[in-house]
Amino acid sequence: MAGPPNKRQKREEKHEGQMPQKKFYRQRAHANPFSDHDLTYPEHPSAMRWSEHYPHFVATIPAAVPKDDPIATRDYNEYYVARMEKRVEVADIGCGFGGLLFALAPRMPATLILGLEIRTSVAEFVQDKAKALRLQQQQQPPASAGAETPPVPGGYENVSCIRANTMKFLPNFFAKAQLTKIFLCFPDPHFKARKHKARIVSATLNSEYAFVLAPGGMVYTITDVEDLHVWMVEHLAAHPSFARVAEGEAEGDECVAVMRRETEEGKKVERNGGRKFVAVFRRLEDPAWP
Amino acid sequence: MQHPFQCIASVRLPGEATSYDYLVTACGPRLTVVDVAMGEIASRWSTERAASTTSNGDDDEQSERPKKKQKTSTAAPRASNIIKLIVSPDQTHIVTVTDDKLIRVFGVKTGGLLDELSQRCMPKRPCAIQILPDNATIICGDKFGDVYSLPLLPSDSPVVTEQASAGAAESEVSKKEKEAAFKPSATNLTVHTKRNRKALEAQMAQKDFTNKKEPLKFEHKLLLGHVSMLTDVLYATREVERKHRGYIITADRDEHVRISRGPPQSHIIEGYCMGHTHFVSKLCLIPGTDMLVSGGGDDDLYVWDWPTGKLRRKYEIFGAMLGLPYVGDTVMNDGSTQQAATVGDMSDHKVAVSGLCTAPFTNAKGQQETALLVTCERVPALFVIPVNRLQLVKKYEITQIDLDYPPLDITCIGDIVVISLDGRKDGQYRLTANKLVQPNADDKGHVMLKPDEDTEARLKCLVGSAEGVRADDKELDELFYSVANLRKRGGWVTPGEDVAAEDDPVDAEADPNGTEIVEMEDDATVRKA
Repeated sequence: MAGPPNKRQKREEKHEGQMPQKKFYRQRAHANPFSDHDLTYPEHPSAMRWSEHYPHFVATIPAAVPKDDPIATRDYNEYYVARMEKRVEVADIGCGFGGLLFALAPRMPATLILGLEIRTSVAEFVQDKAKALRLQQQQQPPASAGAETPPVPGGYENVSCIRANTMKFLPNFFAKAQLTKIFLCFPDPHFKARKHKARIVSATLNSEYAFVLAPGGMVYTITDVEDLHVWMVEHLAAHPSFARVAEGEAEGDECVAVMRRETEEGKKVERNGGRKFVAVFRRLEDPAWP
Repeated sequence: MQHPFQCIASVRLPGEATSYDYLVTACGPRLTVVDVAMGEIASRWSTERAASTTSNGDDDEQSERPKKKQKTSTAAPRASNIIKLIVSPDQTHIVTVTDDKLIRVFGVKTGGLLDELSQRCMPKRPCAIQILPDNATIICGDKFGDVYSLPLLPSDSPVVTEQASAGAAESEVSKKEKEAAFKPSATNLTVHTKRNRKALEAQMAQKDFTNKKEPLKFEHKLLLGHVSMLTDVLYATREVERKHRGYIITADRDEHVRISRGPPQSHIIEGYCMGHTHFVSKLCLIPGTDMLVSGGGDDDLYVWDWPTGKLRRKYEIFGAMLGLPYVGDTVMNDGSTQQAATVGDMSDHKVAVSGLCTAPFTNAKGQQETALLVTCERVPALFVIPVNRLQLVKKYEITQIDLDYPPLDITCIGDIVVISLDGRKDGQYRLTANKLVQPNADDKGHVMLKPDEDTEARLKCLVGSAEGVRADDKELDELFYSVANLRKRGGWVTPGEDVAAEDDPVDAEADPNGTEIVEMEDDATVRKA
């Protein structure tokens, strides 16, 4: 549940371009993924208005989009959906306050990165932060004019966040094989056995991750709860569409380093001297029909 | 007051010279099999008798969460009602689901006798059940969104599943060792909220830690799952490169229709049919085509080319329903409620598709055709669309046939369409038998019901079969009309959350004057029969 109205007012008091403050966006850390939240989601991935999230990537010459391009509007969509130059390729499921998103954005400036978060206020924080960061980048004088800090590649135009319950509505946002990377960082551990179905990794949900991931795509998991780590490894490794990436190879992946260091929870665990468990999985090609 | 039949199914047993048709009816907890040709009751079965011998199916759940369940267990014992009834493709077995989560398999023997072969208790209430064309496998979707496969006939030896055998080995381990082996799921280092800390403390305090969740004691496989209530499950086959491919099509309350590969590759999702804006409650494959029709809380039926997931067209049904009565509960002047009375018409209510099935008929030219039959919850009518009309993108033809009471279930005995009706007052008839006829060869979209009085007369033998099955109106409503409950309660807003309307632009557009839209289209015809 979101904070009292005065919190909301305070959020709005800041002037444009000013960084949002986390303390005005705090929300209870758990959400029931089974309940019908008042969610907004497209009825079909092609009906999603990505232009609001990535205005810099709106296609200027729609004619350049090939007819069979899945981004192009489908004929049955009665209302206009702007065509995009790029599709979202990286999803951070349960992005929280977006630490990972903002760290990844400059590292892959040409890739659209989306955070998905079930808590309204938290998702709003990430959206506000993305807006503020973009504005800050735009207003910064060019490096040649003697800026103190060099401009960030991509200017945070490639990062955004939506409020969504991915356990229910992942296929509403992403088409088959659209994504190349999925991050599952410090998910809710749901300790009780009765709640295990609410975990973000399960035998049946893994099929949905496999559906939206392109073959060769990656799933990154990190947690400080060993029990959950074992659960995630067990379930992802047992799923025929995934294979665990050897630890040596995983450690060489820049994303893993960023995930360890930059996630908000990761920093918290660091402060408390906790352990972090990382596992990376690769999406395999679908086997031939029997 | 009489108890209508909530489920009906037909069984055709091969005979020496001719085949024998049986109608299986479910009335509350009872199954009654009727020999259709003779007009006699062939056999009966009831959970009323079985109840004393079977163990309570809720045992598992009770041990898991004892406090919440006690409320229901103290209620007066009631025989469990049959909620699903299906027949195997080879007509040799029928499978029932009762509201205590039990799946029962019966063999159907010569003379229409039922032979109860097995009963298995599922972890969650089954919502949809199918028998695969191999006549050996049941697939079952449940309220929790999971789809399991079970062998139709459990193997004779008590199945020792992997988990079960692991469990047996574990019991040999002494308690001390177990305590030593127990490791809490989290450590104090784990950064977490107050609640999680409390859960951890509780875990630490609970010394005798064992995994209480007992595995199912019979052979079963989890095939796939949605994080949503499943509403319908179908098995489809398709010939690709001269090989038959099997698919599982699942529908859920969150507007999805998912196409997965059939076992053993059911973990692979082939695609989705996305486009519904409200719950999906029923799916129907159109035989001989790649068409799938889905319906639920939307004003339209959706016609899909399911292998590609592309929407072919929408077929409006709400417009055809406007003006029809809606049978619900009314509060009388003296404060009592009169159920099953006409309450206003459909314009005050929303669509809740309760049945989609196909039925064969002979068209005016003497050719065999197929019609799609559509029923909606609490609407006393049947909607008929010849399936060749579904393929056309512009034609809109639907025949609406008034029925005396809302239909509950439909089955076909050859070309005879038997409809179970919600006629609750003594003497009201609960079954009608009809044939589909096309009166005019030029009017291809027009299909009517012609009563088959002979068959209907023979089904009269069922009149006394419900004797003693008692249920009040409220219980009957709960048993018959659960589809409308799938609709999400829109409009409520949690304080501080965005006031984002759940209904999207598509919905707002289709709302006003559904009838006018229908009439404006040149090719559109809505017939009142």
